[in-house]
Amino acid sequence: MAMAFHPLAASRVRLAPLLPAAAPSSSSVAAHHHHHRRRFSAIVATAAPASAPTVFDFNTYMGERAETVNRALDAAIPAGEPPAALHEAMRYSLLAGGKRVRPALCLAACGVVGGREAWALAPAAAVEMVHTMSLVHDDLPCMDDDDLRRGKPTCHVVYGEPIAVLTGDALLSLAFHHVASVGSYPPDVDPEKHPARVVRAIFELARCIGSEGLVAGQVVDLEMTGTSEVVPLERLEYIHLHKTAALLEASVVIGAIIGGGTDEQIERLRKYARSIGLLFQVVDDILDVTKSSEELGKTAGKDLATDKTTYPKLLGLEKSREFAEKLLSDAKEQLAGFDKEKAAPLLHLAYYIAHRQN
Amino acid sequence: MALSSIFLPLPMPKLLSSSRSHRLLPVRASSAAPAASASFDLRRYWTSLIADVESELDAAMPMRPPESIHAAMRYAVLPGAGKEGTAKRAPPVLCVAACELLGAPRSAALPAAAALEMLHAASLVHDDLPCFDAAPTRRGRPSTHAAFGTDMAVLAGDALFPLAYTHVIAHTPSPDPVPHAVLLRVMAELARAVGSTGMAAGQFLDLAGATALGEAEVMQVLTKKFGEMAECSAACGAMLGGAGPDEEAALRRYGRTIGVLYELVDDIRSASGNGKMRRNASVLRALGMDRALGIVEELKAQAKTEADRFADKYGDRVLPLYSFVDYAVDRGFELQDAAATP
Repeated sequence: MAMAFHPLAASRVRLAPLLPAAAPSSSSVAAHHHHHRRRFSAIVATAAPASAPTVFDFNTYMGERAETVNRALDAAIPAGEPPAALHEAMRYSLLAGGKRVRPALCLAACGVVGGREAWALAPAAAVEMVHTMSLVHDDLPCMDDDDLRRGKPTCHVVYGEPIAVLTGDALLSLAFHHVASVGSYPPDVDPEKHPARVVRAIFELARCIGSEGLVAGQVVDLEMTGTSEVVPLERLEYIHLHKTAALLEASVVIGAIIGGGTDEQIERLRKYARSIGLLFQVVDDILDVTKSSEELGKTAGKDLATDKTTYPKLLGLEKSREFAEKLLSDAKEQLAGFDKEKAAPLLHLAYYIAHRQN
Repeated sequence: MALSSIFLPLPMPKLLSSSRSHRLLPVRASSAAPAASASFDLRRYWTSLIADVESELDAAMPMRPPESIHAAMRYAVLPGAGKEGTAKRAPPVLCVAACELLGAPRSAALPAAAALEMLHAASLVHDDLPCFDAAPTRRGRPSTHAAFGTDMAVLAGDALFPLAYTHVIAHTPSPDPVPHAVLLRVMAELARAVGSTGMAAGQFLDLAGATALGEAEVMQVLTKKFGEMAECSAACGAMLGGAGPDEEAALRRYGRTIGVLYELVDDIRSASGNGKMRRNASVLRALGMDRALGIVEELKAQAKTEADRFADKYGDRVLPLYSFVDYAVDRGFELQDAAATP
């Protein structure tokens, strides 16, 4: 019954149910990772992000990746080619800042399987284009009708609705063009294996964002909005696994494919991504009820105002935090078989998603 | 906002009422029965191709959960049973024809041909939205947003784009006979054609009212909105058929010319009352009927010149290319009739 709602899982891997039957006690989950023994709920509730006392400098890592990705994004928009106003609208949406979590995941996944991060720069830029596209369309009046995104007026507010629709379409096309083009990759990729890897990566990206991935999540979410009935937990999980986790899954999986990962490595990383994808959304729900609009850079309390079903609403705040802890530990488990040093970025990305404040 | 959606009466009727038949006559006469058409039946060729494309598309979009989005996607891509229900499927037909010209099997090009139709449909679904053209109907039945809601129409378009790529990858025979590197070029080509310098550029320029300006702007809109897609169709067929660089370039030019020619003739027929009125009638307003007919002749000559390059090497296999040019101009038969009689 539940599997009928999990085409992503059914088509690839069978996951143990992500929801704990009985929420595990938080101390037992965190016990074997003594750097992070602090209770997750306490971390989410405090303003200062927990700094992990390891040699890996997460902030520097993310800062450098964001800079590299931003340069790639800037260069990818056909500058100087008309129509200038359409390209301007694409830039407005794409280069609006943001943490570049998805590109960072893509690059880190390429690295953890032994690839050079530079090989995955084009796919990393592409997942950010897809992410931006989904936000631009999601913000439209006929969808979520949002005026504010990352602290700035949304694309349709600035450029009008039709141009926002076109901007999204153009970003989506640019993403696939960028990944498919030979010129997007450095010369040191394996000439024998690289084309087949890119083909497989495009397939994963397209599958994860289509009618059985990201769009499926948006559709089921839309169908739930406006009805007074309470969304059951499994339906809520379906929405988040598709609406949020699917693109994180694509980011990680295509990074691992381009990096030359084995099938077994790719599937482990897929499970990692699905856990942090759901974690991302659980934390989002928690932040929505605990933070202000200024802190979030988007409208806070919107879930409550629109009567949207959230984890805090279904489980309560404390149980939601426990669930988040469980997801974090599931994600960490998938990284156990990898080289510790190479897995550090992915490990810290998981912590970051769990501990972020906006 | 959408300048192009404001309907303005055409200044054409006076000109047309007195001279419509004369003006269209030279166009029709010049295309009358070249020797080629005796040995090649375009209607039969096109009809058999449409059947292949339809079954490819039907199989590519099975109903599955969530059903609402898959129903909307099928609705947008597969023709209904309405009066104008049969889609002409010009982009996939051109793609397969280019591939077959080079002697490659139809099966190499059919998945890309279906993908072209998905991308084309995705653009149309978004182009029909209330914030764009607000078109209530398409192909003789309610447009996708009218039938499924605006939000579902946005998402159906968004889902058709990626479906095009998964379909090409899953079904193109690769790496043999189509190498992965060629498959990647095909996908880059598809993405470029519907992107910010292709079809989306045309929609943007149309939105900005470029068709009200002058010949250069009008031709730019036609080239972007229709020429790019047809160029992409021919180019994909060329690549999948194993074309050399010169052959690919010639087929690109041929495709682009055919795409613009086809649309321009549509607009002329609409303006002269032979077809349904459409907003692109503004193209005629900007060009004037005399100039429009002149451009038709120029495009026709260009397309035939490109097709000529293949005549010696490929013999009779070049005939579909010639016949598309003639069909674009004279519309010698109705495809819904053809499709109804297998």
